[in-house]
Amino acid sequence: MTRKNKNIAIIGGGHNSLVSAAYLAKAGFNVELYESRSEVGGMASTKELIDGYRVPGVAHLLHQTDSKIHKSLNLNKHGLAFAASGLKTISINPKGNALIFDDDSVTGDDITMKEQAEYKEFRQAMKKLAGFFKKSYQTAPPRLGSDETKDMTRLMSLGWNLRSMGKKSMRQMLKYIAVNIHDILNEFTDHEHMKGSIALDALLGNRLGPRTNNSAITFLHQLTGDLNGVQGSYAIPEGGMSSYSNALQKAAESAGVKIHTNSPVKQIDLNEENKINGLILESGEKVNADIVVSGIDPRSTFMCLVGPKNLESHYVHKVNNIRMRGNTSKLHLALSGLPKFKGVEPEDLGHRIINAPSMKYLELAHDHTKYGECSDQLPMEIIIPSIHDKTLAPKGHHVLSAVVNNTAYELKEGWDQSNAVVLENCLNQLEEMAPGIKGLIVHAELLSPKDIEDEYGITGGQWHHGELTFDQFLMLRPIPKMAQYKTPIESLYLCGAGSHPGGGLMGLAGRNAANEIISKES
Amino acid sequence: MLRQDHYKTSVYKTPFHERTSELNILNEWSRWKDYTVPTNYFRTDLEYFAVRNTTGVIDYTPMVKQKITGPDAAEFVNRFFTRDMNKIGIGRVGYVVWCDEEGQVIDDGTVFHIRENEYWLLCVERQLDNLENSAIGFDVKIEEITDDIACLGIQGPTSCSILKAIGFEGIEFLKPFDIKHYDFRGREIIISRTGFSGDLGYEACMANDVALDFWDALFEKGEIYGIKPFGLDALDLVRIEAGLLVPGQDFMVAEDAIRPGSTRSPFELGLSWLVDLSKPVFNGREALIEEKRKGSRYTFVKLNIKGNKPAHGSYLYNQANKKIGTVTSAMFSPSAKANIAYASLHDPWNKDKDKIIAEIYYQKDLEWNRVMEEATIVTKPFFDPERRRTTPAELY
Repeated sequence: MTRKNKNIAIIGGGHNSLVSAAYLAKAGFNVELYESRSEVGGMASTKELIDGYRVPGVAHLLHQTDSKIHKSLNLNKHGLAFAASGLKTISINPKGNALIFDDDSVTGDDITMKEQAEYKEFRQAMKKLAGFFKKSYQTAPPRLGSDETKDMTRLMSLGWNLRSMGKKSMRQMLKYIAVNIHDILNEFTDHEHMKGSIALDALLGNRLGPRTNNSAITFLHQLTGDLNGVQGSYAIPEGGMSSYSNALQKAAESAGVKIHTNSPVKQIDLNEENKINGLILESGEKVNADIVVSGIDPRSTFMCLVGPKNLESHYVHKVNNIRMRGNTSKLHLALSGLPKFKGVEPEDLGHRIINAPSMKYLELAHDHTKYGECSDQLPMEIIIPSIHDKTLAPKGHHVLSAVVNNTAYELKEGWDQSNAVVLENCLNQLEEMAPGIKGLIVHAELLSPKDIEDEYGITGGQWHHGELTFDQFLMLRPIPKMAQYKTPIESLYLCGAGSHPGGGLMGLAGRNAANEIISKES
Repeated sequence: MLRQDHYKTSVYKTPFHERTSELNILNEWSRWKDYTVPTNYFRTDLEYFAVRNTTGVIDYTPMVKQKITGPDAAEFVNRFFTRDMNKIGIGRVGYVVWCDEEGQVIDDGTVFHIRENEYWLLCVERQLDNLENSAIGFDVKIEEITDDIACLGIQGPTSCSILKAIGFEGIEFLKPFDIKHYDFRGREIIISRTGFSGDLGYEACMANDVALDFWDALFEKGEIYGIKPFGLDALDLVRIEAGLLVPGQDFMVAEDAIRPGSTRSPFELGLSWLVDLSKPVFNGREALIEEKRKGSRYTFVKLNIKGNKPAHGSYLYNQANKKIGTVTSAMFSPSAKANIAYASLHDPWNKDKDKIIAEIYYQKDLEWNRVMEEATIVTKPFFDPERRRTTPAELY
């Protein structure tokens, strides 16, 4: 059988699925994609908050993307444009002394020239280390203990990438990889506000405090992506976050992918020999396919769609133990006017505003998380996308979108009880940062990790489809023996963020999976 | 539920202890899991001959017992064990092994398909953890019943006659591996035609409180049939002759192994017949398919060795004096009149070309002697009388 007449069914329409679909269709497979919601894009989408106000679904900044994928899928031609790019990060504090980060430079909050130099040194060192990850992100990780040439080459190239960084960076990598961002930052600088602001990047979307091990990895991970070739840069797409997904959708469709929305998958249809028949949709419809590719998280894929009875028990046990505890909520506000943030110039309001005044602040918030509580002092990443994109709100009105960290999935009181309390907390905090903002609120909502789980079908509401920690990284992601996108079920593959190299908007898991499928199924 | 009063006593007494301790005139005891049971009662060889010529009774209550119940029980056991469990119908017993994810044998045992949606697993090592881990997604309940059930092995040519004399009607019609539920003085006794001896024999499982009554009935009716108790030493002799393996002796329990390569797959234990690779899924399948592709590392064989010195723990060599394996169990078999052993062979052993030579050490008046004896591979069981299979069973 040649690629031409092999049918691939892809489950889920998130960005990784779309990327995978596009590459597979370009390679000559017949690809159909099944998405449960009414539109593709998953967490990278735009949704209506209330009539006339639209907000980003979950992801609200284009940050960690991969320019190779952009180019080869021709996303610009398919309508991806930036309403704003090269965004600065403005870190506010209660005194109203903001720190402004612009690529490798930092100004504000009584920062000295020495500290500015320290920041630059830190950034450059970290970018170099992130470069190591970036290279390893471009292919499937090696299978340990395998005697296949491909795996040995990959293992050697991992080693070579490390070696070729040079002695100093190699030492830094070995020194930092297992420690935490708190200790690393303390080596570089004494500026508390600056350290808090940088540490936040390691924590957003994750369940970590600055002093938790693995926070070095998450920090480097978010630095691997680039935007138009600029490492660690932020942008807002024109027409809201869904325009990123729309561009991917068009790229996939122009390659020949058929996309079915409102088509939730009930189960992966296996025959008596546990080989792929195709899919069974919730509607009862049967879809025949030679290959099934799942872009949803590994736990849902195996526990719900494949079913534990169809797997050896060690797989079930391991998949069941993938740590995927969501910790991050989304706050959406419809505002009747532009708020004023303390210490932020009005012309800077369109940039990325963060609330992380010190590492201690972040650590204390995490202490609450550990015990199933929610602090009233939460770290946040805030943007006002309507400044750049007037279509998102009525004239003169605005929408605010904030990522709120340290809101654990399994709060002691349960989210039904806690949602209103946490929302009120967030609004009180915002009122402190931007006095008067409460008076502008037309509508407010907080999407807890539980809500994100319900809406987007991700276990635990965990953005990365599995926490990004050293034990769930590279050839251990999502679990050993499945890290090469292949699964124990023949011709069932994974292409989501639960696989190497994980979350963000890179689409690399999708593309790497497509490459593996092309080489195995041709 | 397991008993939890370990701190009061270092070992438990089985429900038969009152009788076994009376008969154990040598007062030799062994620890078996949480219990103490006789190693020898009066003389190993005489106990052995009781099993072979009349009937021997062994208290195997310490055998680990787990109960699996629920609507998904059949599916569950089929995924847990390597063989096709659908072939073990209600009222039947099957010999089983099960594997870890590397396809290495964790333990062996027997599964009793007691009634619909109910299986008992009898084995050497505790499996609660493995069973529970394997139960995710199955509607089953797993219970440890070792301390709740007393067990006796009643093995030997006259065993059927004794049970019939007690009043177990139709016992002679049980085929090998059949189970029958009997009423004994108002209580249930589960009797199966199974056992460790390779001969006609039965195993009886009962609630602890009828244990002594059953024992007394057995020894009262059994007296004219030559009934004797036998201990663990004699058990080891009959089980080698019967061709049965003991985990921890003939192979390393995969979970206890420290060194890579010291475990064995079912293929490497001569148990291919227990592996059904045509089943779509079972624990260890993927690794076993891989082993089929790559070839196994070890070959398990039964040996007939020249001379009469048992080859305990012997190294095995080929004619070029290269080490090709080790003996795992050995004895001089009185029934087969042969010097027999089990061995695990490895590279550079060549099936077609190589001789197998055992290096045997033995003592005479405290003096160590060494002989090199040639061995041949035996494919049939060392001891396999026709009456083991004959149904209805022979009555005396």
